[in-house]
Parts: sequence; C-alpha cells; structure tokens
Amino acid sequence: MLEWSTAGPAVGAAFLASIVEVVEAFTIVLVVATLRGWKPAVLGTGAALFVLAAVVVILGPLLDQVPLHLLQLVIGVLLLLFGIGWLRKAALRAGGIIPLHDEDAIFAKETADLNAEVERRQTSQDWIAGIAAFKAVLLEGLEVIFIVIAVGAGRGLLWPASLGALAACALVLMIGAVAHRPLARVPENTLKFGVGVMLSAFGVFWTGEGLGVDWPGHDLALFVFAALFLAAGLMAARMVRQPLGEAT
Amino acid sequence: MSILKDVLLELFSMFIADVRLTGAILATVVISALLIDATRLPPLAGGVVLLLGCIAVLFLSVRREASRKSEG
Repeated sequence: MLEWSTAGPAVGAAFLASIVEVVEAFTIVLVVATLRGWKPAVLGTGAALFVLAAVVVILGPLLDQVPLHLLQLVIGVLLLLFGIGWLRKAALRAGGIIPLHDEDAIFAKETADLNAEVERRQTSQDWIAGIAAFKAVLLEGLEVIFIVIAVGAGRGLLWPASLGALAACALVLMIGAVAHRPLARVPENTLKFGVGVMLSAFGVFWTGEGLGVDWPGHDLALFVFAALFLAAGLMAARMVRQPLGEAT
Repeated sequence: MSILKDVLLELFSMFIADVRLTGAILATVVISALLIDATRLPPLAGGVVLLLGCIAVLFLSVRREASRKSEG
C-alpha cells in the first residue's frame, strides 16, 4: 500500500521539476515548429523520446542490481549537488543578483540562432531544425529521468514519480497546444525554488540513510528538511537583496 | 559528435555547475561519513552535521556569488 507521506514528496518533486524542464524544451520545439513547421519539430521530439525511452529501459534493470545503501548514498550525493545548485541559483534570481529566466527572450534568441545556423550550413533546413528539437528534448529529458530516478529509486517509487513527470509533460503540452506561444507566465523561478528545496531535502535524507543514519520520524523527516531548506533559501535571497555593506 | 558532446557537457553541468559549491558539498558528506564511521558518536550526529553543513554551504555560496557579481 502506497503511503502518501512517502510518495507525496517524490511525486510532487518529479511533477514540479518536470514542469520546469518541459517548459524549457517546449520553447525550443515551438521555435522549430514556428520556423520550419511541425514536421521537423515532431520528428526531432519523437526521436529524442525514443532515445530517452531506451535509456530508461537499459538503466532501469541495472538499478535493481545495486545494493540499496550504495544506491541511496550515490543518488543522495548527486541530489545534493543538483538540488543545492538549483536552490542557490533560485535564491540568486529571487535576490535580483542574476536575471530571471525569460521564455519570451529565449524564444527570440533561439529563433535568431536557428535562422543563423540554417543560413550558415548547406544541409537541409528541416534537418537542422529537427536536430535542434531533438537536442532540446534529449537534454531536458535526461534531467527529468535523473530526477525521477533520484526521488523514486530509493523507496521503490519509480512508477509514482514517473507518473508525476508524465502528468507534468501532459499539462505543459496541453497548455502549450492551446496557447501556441512560449509559456512565459509559468512562475519558473518559484518552481525552481520549490524543486531545489525538495531535491536538497531528498539529498540529505538519502545520503544520511546511505551512511547509516536512522532519521527520527523516518519519511516525515523529509518535511522538516524541506522546511529548513526553504527557510534557508528565502533568508539567503533576502540577505543578498540588501546592499552587501549592510549585510556584513 | 556535437550532440554527444552537448549531452556530456549538460550532464557535467547538472552536477558541477560551480566547482567550489561541489567541493564544499562533497567535503560536508565526507565529514559526516567520518563522524558516523570513525567516531563513537551516534550516527544521527553525523546526519545533523550533514543537514546543517549543507544549509551553511548554501548560505555561503549564495553570499560569495552575490559579492563576486557586485565586485565584477
């Protein structure tokens, strides 16, 4: 029987992280579709999804061969590197130190880049456009796969986490199909902040379990870690928002 | 080859976007592991060091990047 105190954070983290990644991939697929039509966009996306499915099919059974504590430790450390990296960037964006992610600006830049690439090369324009869609979906998809494995593998929650990621893909595609423009109004930094908090909390939890720590409250400790990382991220953003002279 | 190179670069940057941040997190994990395996302290003490250490690393990294940007 699935317990929501265990599955909820995993599904939530996979869902929110996948929204961020799918929105980024969608912007580039939309550039390709706008410039060269839907055929290269769909072919490039389909080829990337095929490669991603192959990665899952090959990696999935291998995970079962790794001892649980080693798996928790390796995934926990990778989650710490990934999650704290996201949280740091989100705090710097919230503090106004680095600019916010702007899907409209990225759409314009990718359009210019793709036009320049098409003019520079002699190969088929549709081929170049298809490759652009392929790379975008593959690169963002690899991050989604890592997150799903990372939050799901340590507790046998790969399927619920995968469903969270698939729900995010379906949601973005539905909204994208209706809006037919870059999803610039998605509060991406807020999502990244939340995902960074959850991935960092999972990272501490798995790393600790991998090292032999028996956390008080077991899975409920995740919520405490998430609250602490959220408070720390918000305080860090607030700290750098002030002039540095005053902060020291 | 360009696609493979881009994929490898993306995977690398997923985990090592900032060398100092990566080093500090790994050092925190190693200190926690030593506390758990090489001392008589209860394992939970190592876990608390891991949690607080990671939070401290986050703070220091945000602060350092903010000062670097304001100086540059």
